[in-house]
Amino acid sequence: MSLAGWSGGVHLVGDRGRSDTSEFRGRFRWIGLGMTLIFLALVVRLFELQVLETEDNRAAARENVVRRVTLATTRGIIRDRSGKVLAAGRPAYNIYVVPERLDMKDVWPKLVEYVGVGPDEAMRFEQRLLALRADEGPRKKQQILFKEDISRDAVATLATHEAELPGVEVVPVPVRAYPYEEVGAHALGYMAEVDVDKLASLRNAGYMEGDRIGVTGVERAWESYLRGTRGWEKVVVDARGRRRTGREDIIEEPRRSDPLPGRDLRLTLDADVQKAIDKAFRGEAAGGVVMLDVRTGRIIGMYSKPAYDPNALSGGSGKQVIRDAFRRLYSDPLKPALDKTVSGAYPPGSTFKPFTALAALEKGLIDPRSVIQCKGAKTYGRRTFRCTHVHGGVDLHKGIAESCNVYFYSLAADYGVSMDLIADMGLRYGFGGRTGLGINAEVAGRMPTRAWMTLRNHGHFEQGSALNASIGQGATTVTVLQLTLAYAALANGGTLYQPQIVRAVETSNGTVVQEFNPRVRRQVDVSAESLKIVQRALEAGVHQEGGTSLTAYNNSGLRQLGVDMAGKTGTAQVSHHLVRGAEAERGWYFNREHAWWAGWAPARSPEVAVAALVEHGGFGGKHAAPIAFQAAKAYFNLVRGQREGTRGAQPAAGRGRRGGRP
Amino acid sequence: MIQHESFSARVRDHFDWPLFISAMLIAVLGIVNLYGATSVYSGARAELYIKQIQFLAVGGVLGGVLLAVDYRHLERLGYVLYAFGVFNLSLVFALAKGFTRGSQRWIEIFGFKYQPSEFMKIYLVIALAKYLHDDPRNEGRTLRDLFIPAVLTFVPALLVLRQPDLGTASILVLIFLSIALMTRIHWKSLAAFVLTVVPSTYVVYDYVLLGYQKARITTFLNPEADVKGLGFHAYNSRVAIGDGGLFGAGFMKGTQNQFGFLPDQFSDFPFPVFAEDWGFAGSVLLICLYGFLTVWSIHVASQAKDRFGAVLAIGGASILFWHAVINIGMTAGVLPVVGVTLPLFSYGGSSMLTVLIALSLVMNVSMRRYGGVPAPDRL
Repeated sequence: MSLAGWSGGVHLVGDRGRSDTSEFRGRFRWIGLGMTLIFLALVVRLFELQVLETEDNRAAARENVVRRVTLATTRGIIRDRSGKVLAAGRPAYNIYVVPERLDMKDVWPKLVEYVGVGPDEAMRFEQRLLALRADEGPRKKQQILFKEDISRDAVATLATHEAELPGVEVVPVPVRAYPYEEVGAHALGYMAEVDVDKLASLRNAGYMEGDRIGVTGVERAWESYLRGTRGWEKVVVDARGRRRTGREDIIEEPRRSDPLPGRDLRLTLDADVQKAIDKAFRGEAAGGVVMLDVRTGRIIGMYSKPAYDPNALSGGSGKQVIRDAFRRLYSDPLKPALDKTVSGAYPPGSTFKPFTALAALEKGLIDPRSVIQCKGAKTYGRRTFRCTHVHGGVDLHKGIAESCNVYFYSLAADYGVSMDLIADMGLRYGFGGRTGLGINAEVAGRMPTRAWMTLRNHGHFEQGSALNASIGQGATTVTVLQLTLAYAALANGGTLYQPQIVRAVETSNGTVVQEFNPRVRRQVDVSAESLKIVQRALEAGVHQEGGTSLTAYNNSGLRQLGVDMAGKTGTAQVSHHLVRGAEAERGWYFNREHAWWAGWAPARSPEVAVAALVEHGGFGGKHAAPIAFQAAKAYFNLVRGQREGTRGAQPAAGRGRRGGRP
Repeated sequence: MIQHESFSARVRDHFDWPLFISAMLIAVLGIVNLYGATSVYSGARAELYIKQIQFLAVGGVLGGVLLAVDYRHLERLGYVLYAFGVFNLSLVFALAKGFTRGSQRWIEIFGFKYQPSEFMKIYLVIALAKYLHDDPRNEGRTLRDLFIPAVLTFVPALLVLRQPDLGTASILVLIFLSIALMTRIHWKSLAAFVLTVVPSTYVVYDYVLLGYQKARITTFLNPEADVKGLGFHAYNSRVAIGDGGLFGAGFMKGTQNQFGFLPDQFSDFPFPVFAEDWGFAGSVLLICLYGFLTVWSIHVASQAKDRFGAVLAIGGASILFWHAVINIGMTAGVLPVVGVTLPLFSYGGSSMLTVLIALSLVMNVSMRRYGGVPAPDRL
């Protein structure tokens, strides 16, 4: 049999001769059944995946594409008492390039030109780029940082030419900016990237790698207020992590949590006073100044020198700049990292005399009118204690005003003003203990007692110690802030305030969230008569012929302003020590006396107390007093100016001042 | 009386409409799915569906032409085609220029990439059909009787494995096993076979398989361990299927594909795209279509008038069956990820042509099951 016509002559084996399918019979059914069962098994598996485990799989699918991106918050702005910005965020722009995508012939020279990179730097980076491009690895595909914190002009130029610059990206990063730069840097503090070690404990508070955190000053102490809370938003991303829009319907509620901006801080500091202090400090290498309101304990000026530029430390200008800034910070023998107003304790020298006088007066150990003869020195035991010069007959008033050491030596040696009495009076005025300002590491200073001295001298007490203590020398040390607070308490009749640097917490639109009232630490229990005697003597020190501060006062211009002052100079001897290391080059400097001035103004109706320390400055009247006076002058100029400016507009704007004084 | 009927009359009387319609349905679903799957790309890849339609057309025409030739003509060509296939496979090593995922599978001719291992499946089926046709028995067989078919299978299978292409090699072996199951093997022989295969599997795993092939098997056993690496495909295709739920996300709405979590969605992973868009309902429909096509092909085999035709139809059925099962099984996480395509769904010319030729062979057998006699209802 042959097949149909189309196959023509093709001869096929006849059907009858062909092998039949009998061997397979019965197997078709089984194999069909087997295959059907396998298909059914697949259906069962799909039922499991698609019906029973839908929820899990859907969740996994959502997890793939729905990403929670954090929304950055903004750190609170720090302002001074009149609203000037002391610290705020600013955007910085960094340039990143992808080595592989960068055209070295056309794009690279353009980039160098637009950004304005020096030839050396450009050459170095070019070498690096070429090396990366020649590399086989995946690194040439990764973005690398070209330049940090480029200028606004460069940003604008790059934006204009964006299309010509494939492989170049400008990335904005927020950076903390301090417009007053070095001025008042210690009080404000700076920011730094959070340590890996600390991150472990801070993660619960919402910190992440690369976050910046306040390291010193107000930035650190008020970190939790300033920082704000990050928000988040769920977005749709694809497998490569690129953001995709149009399918927001698959995102479950809640989709977004808005970031909460950090709180703004209103400080008690005054930027203009700070600037004036900085100006007055020109010519002196190191020291610190604190000025505060004697009626509230609010700090108006807080200044430490040498300082650093918190802008450099806080980043933005790049890791190299940060590294260099830190190297300078810690290699300088003048210790710029140290806040000299609270973190350094110094012998107060003669500025301590009013407290010795008070100790004597309160115990009735001396009649303020009794006269002691100063012959330029006092011999006690085998030692001779020197005075600055021969004062002749000195009573308490003159002893303070002209700063006669012999008068105070005699109090200790002959009138029974013991070491413990002096220490007791010092402690009452807040020396020897931390003030509790809360910013920067505060030292307590020291009010040595007889017991303490005995312990230090291996069981032996030297009577001469009391003579040293009476003039604020020897083991006695104080901080600038302590001294300012104590003088404020001398001025205001005995109220020792808790120092305050943050006046209020505000929202970003200016609403006050929390205002901090002045807090009194204690009322110093000293009789009004004794206090008055000391106050008059301190006033005489500035205004009377022979007063140690008179020359500086006459030169300050405060008289023309009509501001009287009361206060005391101090020249504290430094225990001679062998200078070594970085100090060696300037040994003469490190063995010079510390210059002090502490006091208040106006003398009879005090508003501000101020203490200035010039480390190794020499005579207090010559080196510290002018600085303190300039600070006071800046304050009163400012207050007067404000009073003129706001007269009529705000008749009641007395800032809590006692009225009357023009 | 023997009627000589024309080809057109045969087409009219005996055309296998159920097979044609179910295959067409799958092909249409496949192209629609490919369109959706590649819509995530821009450029040439987004237009793969157009090429796929062209492949379908070419394959359809080729299948139609083959339909005109009585399958029995293939019997004479059986070993010649087989030799041609093996020769082509050897050529891959000599000529291969294309590298797809680190393995050599292509030969390029006139600008077309041609994958000999795909066509080898057809040649193997024909060769096995011829061998069994020429060796008719009704009594039980021993393993020795299946020695030559086994050799016929393992020569190309090993060549394919060395490419290396574990998936296609497995398919070749599975085709052979499916066909071998049709014969009357002694139970004892079967037991002996199992006892040999299990240890040898171990040997193959240990000494023959390459590192990445082993990794795939390990990944299959524990996909979560390596979500971003090799397990990425296994994990995400399973998630995509599950994400479909009962009725699916809707056409082109499945996020797993739309957002790039199924990178091989056009070649080896079209099923998760389909399952995510159309859910359990759609998946079952598709499996039913494959199931119908398979069972129908077995039915065709049972109706075949000779052993050659029966084995061809069984071979066609097993090509279809194993591809569908392995592909869906691997995407659903019940089988390791091997490069096995989903018939009429996966993009690719060689794969498309192979499936269409296989279906055409089944239909050829179906159309000629009554020999020269017209269909009973036309008598």
